[in-house]
Parts: sequence; structure tokens; C-alpha cells
Amino acid sequence: MKITINNNIFEAQENDTVLDVARRNDIYIPTLCYHVKTGQTAKCRACVVDVEGMRGMQTSCNLKVRDGMNVHTDTKEVQEAQKMVVDLMLASGYHNCLACERSGTCELQDACYHLGIEKSTYKDAPTGRKDESSEFIVIDFDKCIKCGRCVNICNNRVVNEVLGFGYRGKETEIMCDDDVAMGLSTCVQCGECVQICPTGALTDKKSRGKGRDAQFEKVDTTCPYCGTGCQLTLHVDKAKNKVVRVTGRDEWPNNGMLCVKGRYGFEFHASPKRLQYPLIKKNGKHEQATWDEALDLITEKIKTTVGKYGPDVFSALGSGRITNENNYAIQKFTRAVVKTNNIDHCARTCHAPTVAGLAHAFGSGAATNSVDEILETDLIFVIGSNMTEAHPVVSYYVKQAVKNGSRMIVCDPRRVDIAHWANLYVPLKVGTDVPFLNGLINEIIQNNWHNEAFMKNNTENPEDLKEWIKEYPVEKASEICGVPVEQMKQVAKLLGTAEKVSVIYCLGITEHTTGTDNVKTIANLQMVLGHLGKRGCGVNPLRGQNNVQGACDMGALPNVYHNYISVKDEKTKEKIEKHWGVSGLSLKEGYKLPTMLHKATTGDTKILFCVGDNTVQTEPNMAKTIQEVKALEFLVVIDIFENATTDFADVILPDVCFNEDFGTYSNLDRRVHLLRKAVNPPGEAKPTWWIMNELGKRLGVDLKFTSAEATWEDMRATGTIMGGITYERIQHKGLQWPCPTVTHPGTPILHTNGKFTRGKGLFSHTQYRSQAEMPDKEYPFVLSTGRRLWHYHTGTQTRNSIGLENIFPEELLEISPVDAARMHIKSGDMVKATSRRGEITVKAWVTERSPEGVVWCTFHFREAHANILTNDAYDNVTETPEYKACAIRIEKVSEGVETVSRGFRQARP
Amino acid sequence: MSKPLKCACGSDEKELLVRLEEIIHSMKDKPGALIPVLQAAQSLFGYLPEEAILKVSEMLREPLSKVYGVITFYSFFSLKPRGKYLIRVCLGTACYVQGANEIITALKTQLGIEIGETTKDKLFTLDVGRCFGACGLAPVMMVNDDVHSWVKSSQIGKILKTYERKQPKKEEATV
Ligand code: SF4
Ligand code: SF4
Ligand code: SF4
Ligand code: FES
Ligand code: FES
Repeated sequence: MKITINNNIFEAQENDTVLDVARRNDIYIPTLCYHVKTGQTAKCRACVVDVEGMRGMQTSCNLKVRDGMNVHTDTKEVQEAQKMVVDLMLASGYHNCLACERSGTCELQDACYHLGIEKSTYKDAPTGRKDESSEFIVIDFDKCIKCGRCVNICNNRVVNEVLGFGYRGKETEIMCDDDVAMGLSTCVQCGECVQICPTGALTDKKSRGKGRDAQFEKVDTTCPYCGTGCQLTLHVDKAKNKVVRVTGRDEWPNNGMLCVKGRYGFEFHASPKRLQYPLIKKNGKHEQATWDEALDLITEKIKTTVGKYGPDVFSALGSGRITNENNYAIQKFTRAVVKTNNIDHCARTCHAPTVAGLAHAFGSGAATNSVDEILETDLIFVIGSNMTEAHPVVSYYVKQAVKNGSRMIVCDPRRVDIAHWANLYVPLKVGTDVPFLNGLINEIIQNNWHNEAFMKNNTENPEDLKEWIKEYPVEKASEICGVPVEQMKQVAKLLGTAEKVSVIYCLGITEHTTGTDNVKTIANLQMVLGHLGKRGCGVNPLRGQNNVQGACDMGALPNVYHNYISVKDEKTKEKIEKHWGVSGLSLKEGYKLPTMLHKATTGDTKILFCVGDNTVQTEPNMAKTIQEVKALEFLVVIDIFENATTDFADVILPDVCFNEDFGTYSNLDRRVHLLRKAVNPPGEAKPTWWIMNELGKRLGVDLKFTSAEATWEDMRATGTIMGGITYERIQHKGLQWPCPTVTHPGTPILHTNGKFTRGKGLFSHTQYRSQAEMPDKEYPFVLSTGRRLWHYHTGTQTRNSIGLENIFPEELLEISPVDAARMHIKSGDMVKATSRRGEITVKAWVTERSPEGVVWCTFHFREAHANILTNDAYDNVTETPEYKACAIRIEKVSEGVETVSRGFRQARP
Repeated sequence: MSKPLKCACGSDEKELLVRLEEIIHSMKDKPGALIPVLQAAQSLFGYLPEEAILKVSEMLREPLSKVYGVITFYSFFSLKPRGKYLIRVCLGTACYVQGANEIITALKTQLGIEIGETTKDKLFTLDVGRCFGACGLAPVMMVNDDVHSWVKSSQIGKILKTYERKQPKKEEATV
């Protein structure tokens, strides 16, 4: 249809508003409350226009177009009406733009500019009220125009449910929770409200006074923290070589949303503590060296040691925190130059069971569906995921879905915060996932809720499953997992009768000695229900680190090359040898990470290359890890900060970080995203691909890594699943693998039409095995471990960024009110936690998140971290440690100051 | 616990919270339960203490800011404890001219509280209002539903006594 605006005719679509058409055609209409994300509230009336044949002025933001409509936005009357609204708005606050952070990007200022308003004609009344109590956000009440965008977005998009309007009439005001200061509220500082506020009422504290927006260069890139892979824009002060602000980009997977780490945890890149020069250990001390010295030393060491003992004394670790290119570089170096398959990375400690379990059942070890489909699902089944803290942006989608009518079941021994939004919270005992899920499958089959057709047509061995599952009647399962029979039946019914089920799980499933079995059982469940290969369904592991998916994809694994091609396959070997221009690639599977370390003590591992891993703090049973690392003949660490592992390194090489080079990350739904260089690296820091290339040269192999992109291209040439992904194609938007050719659009959903990557799906017979170390008289508590919202990994990035450390400065041991009362422990008291392997002294946090008998902490803080206590017992298939369960004892050491806690829907006391 | 919370009727705040939970439970599946639940909570406690507000938010799964927004929107809801008797002095023009301020001063000194506050024994809350529509009787003051007209500050003591006398002895009050 066509409409006329200011005497020009424009094309319009059915559901367009007048504003939509005007905006598309660059006709400015002031809008102060409307925003695409928060919708039409028609509150401010700044957007009024005149429509022929309609009485009075109309708000254009919610006025649907009609064919032949004749609209005026520029008549004197319209301008006067708009002016009056904006004028009143100015008068009901205090808008002095001189020192306002938003000057230049403020929508109210824009409106004044366009309408020619220099000053309010009314008397304004500054109150001077500001809320600066929170770490990252400043609220300036005088600049709030009460548009309601922030309230809407906080409640409906990120669903953190903090902001609201309080009081009435003239006194109406935005407030946090029950009108407490933001810093004391349940606000998680995601900053979404800041990003959508039209004025300077909500601003980022960090960038205040750092400069006007226009003077910063904007660089689009990918978040360096969790596996969600949020797209963001860095606002860079080029002269200072620093990022000053981060905003979310309106692109999948995050659509502008971020969490506190992604938005406010960026200064680490410019920290003076960054490693800047190669360091060589001399007489027990690390001394600065030149790159040539360091590289020559490493070359010499590899030559002599490998020459003498063979290539398998060399092992290398890639990382889920570095780019695809750098992972590819280190795996190629290990295989093509040293000629061993001893390459692994930290997926070993987290999602290796996912890769193994799902590859076994479906033929592909990655998430089957995409993040955005969560909004379309009917029932979300969350098990073993503390997503509001570890994958905040995923949790926003989950909460949105629930708000829009999806149902949710949350199964977790701990009452994780996402349980607050669940229809059903199921607290099962630690480590009983297999019997719990088997009990559910049994009940589903008993009641004929299973998808017979899917099982028959799309799986290999449905009859086997139906037979052995009889070993798990709900009653028996209930006895083991501690979930009442009635509740199990309820869960089974919900699962069995839902139209679309999406299973989302995380490390609560994998970090057990039964990790692979747990994953296989989840695969069984979804194959029984037939919720695979369709939108809004699937098995969706939340991969932890920014690029842990990519590190697997790039072949930083001992059994496969990039693209998951087995190292044992002769044909592949030949093909790769030809492409790499080398011969003698090893056909023997390499060591997995724990084996590499164990073998150090027997002298079978002599050289370890460790890129971005911090092995000492991340492996279980730190005392043992230290022994192993000490037993190495030569340890090379490539990292961006000193950490618990660099202490033991013979050579430390300074790496670049996420915004100092180009590269790619693959996120949790297999989306390959681009990273861009925004600043120069500190000192002489170099990318890993460069280091590997230099070492290759010295050892006589040209690895062809001349840039990040060249490295990617080298991978792509033998790539299958990522063969079609080029830097050029992902400039603005990521692509999901499999994407074999440059014209392939990418694959949002795996195994469509019930056709699994491996052909038919495979059921696995899984059995209950108890955790390796059960609590007993001496060590009566189960210690489980995890992540906090405010920190990441071993804290090197988050603790070197300003502010996060202030919010959460030290580790807390979470303990249930029942246990705490019995032991006379209150929040803030110091307690000693002891396991058979070590002890830590840490502050207690009494919280209902912990069930009786279970305590919890993380490994973020070097001073007191979980891995001093955790058990080095491993999953039998993948050697993933049992981080989620070991036995400890607790004693109170001293009294502390009680911290205030209001309810458990909080990421801090 | 350092300070046991007592409500106007003398029963323990903890007990009341349990009663509130029952009430919320019985009402929570009805749409638009928030306002009725808040009303019930207010009549239970006499006002809306923080614990009650948190409970309502948690159990109804409504954001705390929404619950608080409703509470602060309607003047019916009170965030401060209210006494058994709500004294409201009219500050409309007629009453003002006839000396409402002196009445307020007298009430403040004799009760030992400011406007909006409640006496320690939870008997009286002092508040002010706009024209009660009884200007012919100015100055006017209301104690719950009783209208006191042509009030003089010298009479305040006597008026308060009549309400105090209606009370059972202290010992009987607490069970
Ligand atoms: S703070 Fe900003 S977004 Fe929120 S109501 Fe005020 S002006 Fe609107
Ligand atoms: S920062 Fe996030 S959680 Fe906090 S008030 Fe703003 S939108 Fe809500
Ligand atoms: S959710 Fe993950 S990817 Fe997104 S901003 Fe937070 S840490 Fe970064
Ligand atoms: S933008 Fe249309 S009424 Fe506010
Ligand atoms: S002014 Fe007090 S009753 Fe009217």
C-alpha cells in the first residue's frame, strides 16, 4: 500500500506504523518512549503527527498505516505540539547537557535539536538526586523522563525483574526492588537498562568523563567470556589504546543483551599486570628475554629431548579461551612438527563427556539446536545448569520463554536461581542423574508417552532399551535419587505429554565419574520422546568457555584432527600430510590431559606446552597437579597473565588477548563468530599462531601461519564442516556449522527429519554408579563446585578488570541453613574446609541454595579455590574429573561479620 | 534474634508470616491475586512489613519492584506499623484557619511522635488529611471512624484517655 508523508508518496507494509514508514525514509519524528524492543506504550506523545481526516494529533509510534493515508509531520501545528511535549519533559526534570554523559547520543537532546528548543520555557527544578551506589551504573533521577523503557526491558527482556515504577503522580519514580539503592538491590548489573535509556538518566559509571562517544572508534567483536558468544561493540579510545565502553550488538545470539562480565569486564586487556615480554627461568627466577632467545631455547629443548626419547614425550594443551586459529596452530604444530597426537585442552575438564556421549548416540558431539529456538519451545528441561550465573544471556531467553508461557522443569541438587522461574523444581541428590533419568524414561514408556514411530524408524536399537529400562521402575529410581515418586511421575508426565521439549544441561551432568553415561542417558531420553531434529527441541549442552566448542572443532584433541576426523584413519593421514606438506603423522591416539600429567611423574612426559590453560588451578587435587608439573623437564606457558601455572614454567611467552588480533570463536550453538583487532598488544606480546610458525621454521616445517586469516584458510582447505566459513562471510553475523561450502547457509538444527549424522540414533545402556568419594563419618559433606556470575575461570580476566572484584572480592563457601545452624556457623564466619587432598580457609555464606549436606564453592580465587580439595577421580571414557562431588569436612575457625541476605534469588549475599 | 517483632495484636510476627503463607497459597492461582493478597497481608499485620512484602513477591512470583510499586501507588497500603487508632487531623483550609496546627502540636507532644509515626504501645498513629467535608465543624479530627469536631488543643488529653481506657490491661494483652 502507499501512504503520503509531507506530500511525498511512500511504500508501506500491512503492519507498519506511520513511524516505521517515516523512519525507513529518513523523516525524523521525535520518539521518547517508543523503542522496537520495548514496544508502543504511547506515553510521551512526542511523536504526534497530523493525519488528514482524523481529529486531533495522533501518536505515530502506534498508529497503523492505512492505504492512502495522508500524514504531516512538518506543519507548524505538529511542530508546536511536539515542541510542547518536549518542553514539558525538559521542565519536569533537569536537563543541563553540558556535563551529561549522553550529550551527543541522547534522544531527548536530539528531539530538542530537531525542534529548535534551546531551553525550557518553564522553570526546571533540579533535585540533584543520584544513585551511585552500584558498581557500574549511575542513576540520575533529574534526567529520567519516565518513559518506562528500562522497566520494561529489565522485566521482559533480560527478565532480571529489578526495576519498577514506584509511588504515584508527580512522585512517580523508577526504583530497584522495594526502592532500595541499586547497589543493595538484586540488580545483576547487566547494563541492559543503560543501553536502552534515551537520556542520561542511566549511564555507565566506567566511561563517565572518559570522552564523548563520537571520538571513539567502534569495533564489532565477540565477547571473551562464556560460550554464549555474545556480539558486542567495543568503543575504543585509539590514542590511549584502550577500550572505554562496551555495548551489546543487535545480532544473534544475544540481540543486544549482555551480562555484567561481557559489558563491564573489559579492562584486563590494558592491565599493567599483562605479560609483555618472553621470560626465561634462570636460577629459579623469571628473567626477561628476547623472542629469539626464548624460541631458540624451546627449539633446542624439543630437538634434543624428542630426538632422544621420541615424539610422545611432548604434550601440548590448547584452550577453550583462545581463538580457533590459535588452537589450530598448536594442534598442527604438535602433529606436523613434533609428530605426536598428544594434544588436548580444557574441554577435557568440562564437556568432553558431551562430545563423546553425543557423538556416540547421534554422530555429532555438539548442541543440536540454536539459542533463539528456546523461545519457541513448549517445555524447557534444565538439568545441572546454573545458567543465570554461568550463561546469563541464555538464561534471559529461558526466562523470556517462561514469561511467554513455556513451562520449565529445573533439576539440580542446588536450588540454583533459575529455579525461581520454574514450574517445577526437582532437587535430586548429587550424582544420581542416571537413575533419575532412567526412572523417567521407564515411566514414559510405561505410560505410552514415548514416540514409538521415532524410536522405530530413527533409532537402531529401541527394543534393547525397552528391555533394560525395566530395571529402573520409578520407585527404585526415586530411592536412589531422593526425588519423591509422585514428583518423578509428574516430571515424566510433563515430559511425555509436551509438544516440544528442549533439554538444556551443563557441567552438573558432565563433571562426574559417570559424565559420559549421564550425557548418553539424556540422549536416550530425547530419542525416546522424539524431540530431535525439530525447531525448539533437542539436546543443548551449554558449552562453558568462549571457544571451547571451537577448540574441539579445531582438533585440539588427542583422537581427532580438526573437523573431527579420526587420527587413526590412514586415508585422512595421507590427505592431511599432503596438504600440510609433511610426512610421518602419527596414527596413534594421543594422551588425554590427565594422562599427560600423570606421565610426567613416570618420566614419560617431559615437555609440556600450555596455552591459556592455568592447569595448576583448574585440575582437581592441586597438590598432585603441582607434583606432576614439577616433574616435567620443560614447561612452556603461553598466556596473558602470570598465574598459578606460570610459577612453574621454564619459559613464559606473552600472548595477545581477544581484542589485539583477528580470529574466530565458535559458540555453544556452533556459531562461528569473528573477532577484530581493536587495540595494539602490550609490549612484545604475540599471537600463538605466530609463535608456532616461528618454532615450525626453526624445526624445519613451514606451517604457513602468516596471519590469523591465513591460519584459518589453512584449516579450511582440509575442512569439511567449516569449509564454507570465510572471514568475509562472517563480518556481521556468525555462521553455524556444518557449513561445507561457501554458498551453504549454515545449519541451525542438526539431525533434521530424524536423520542422525551417524545414520540412526543409538541407545546406550546406562547403569547407576555412585560417585567416587562418598561422604562418611570423617568427611561428612559433599562438596560441589561451579561458577559465579561475577567471575570467570581462574579470575585472571575478571579480577584484573575494575569493579567485578569489588562486587565479589573473595570466595564464599555456600552452606545450607540447617547445617549452618547445627554447626553454629553464620554468614561471614571463617571456616576451614578439608578433604583428603588439602584444605582451604574460606568465608561461609549460609544460603538456601545449598541443600543439607552439600556445600559449594568455585575455583575463581587463587587464594582459596575448590581444586585444592576436589577429587582426581575420572570419567571412565573421557577422563573428565569429578568436580561436582567429593567428600569434605568443615570446621568453624572464627567469627565474622554477618552479611545480609534477602532471599535466595541472588548472585551474592 | 535480637529484637522480637511484635505486631499490634501481640502475636509473634513469625506466626503471622506462616498465616500469610497459607493465605497466599489459597489465593495464588487466581489471576490478579496481587492486590487482594496485599490487602489480606495488611489486615493481618496492620501494615506491610518487609518480610511480608518479600514473601508475597517470592510466592506470587511477582518482581519485588512490581509489588512495591503497587503498595506505594495506593495510599491504602502502609509501610509503617499502624496503631490501633488512626488519628487524622484535617489540614484543609477551614480547619487550618481554625487552628488545626495547634491540635497537631498538642498531639505530637502528648503522644511523643511525629506525623506518620506510631506510639510504642502501637495504640495511636498520627496522620493528617485534606478537607473531610465537614468544614462547618472545623477544626476536625478523626480517630478511626469517630469524628471529633470543634476540637481545642486543651481537649486532646481527654480524648486520648477515652481510647486508652478502652484497652484491656497490659498483662492480659500479651498471651
Ligand atoms: S531511567 Fe531512562 S529508560 Fe528508565 S524511565 Fe527514566 S528515562 Fe526512561
Ligand atoms: S542492570 Fe540489568 S538487572 Fe540491573 S536494573 Fe538494569 S536491566 Fe535490570
Ligand atoms: S553471557 Fe557470556 S558471552 Fe554473553 S556477555 Fe556474558 S559472558 Fe559474554
Ligand atoms: S514515542 Fe510515541 S508516544 Fe512516546
Ligand atoms: S477543611 Fe477540615 S473538614 Fe474541610
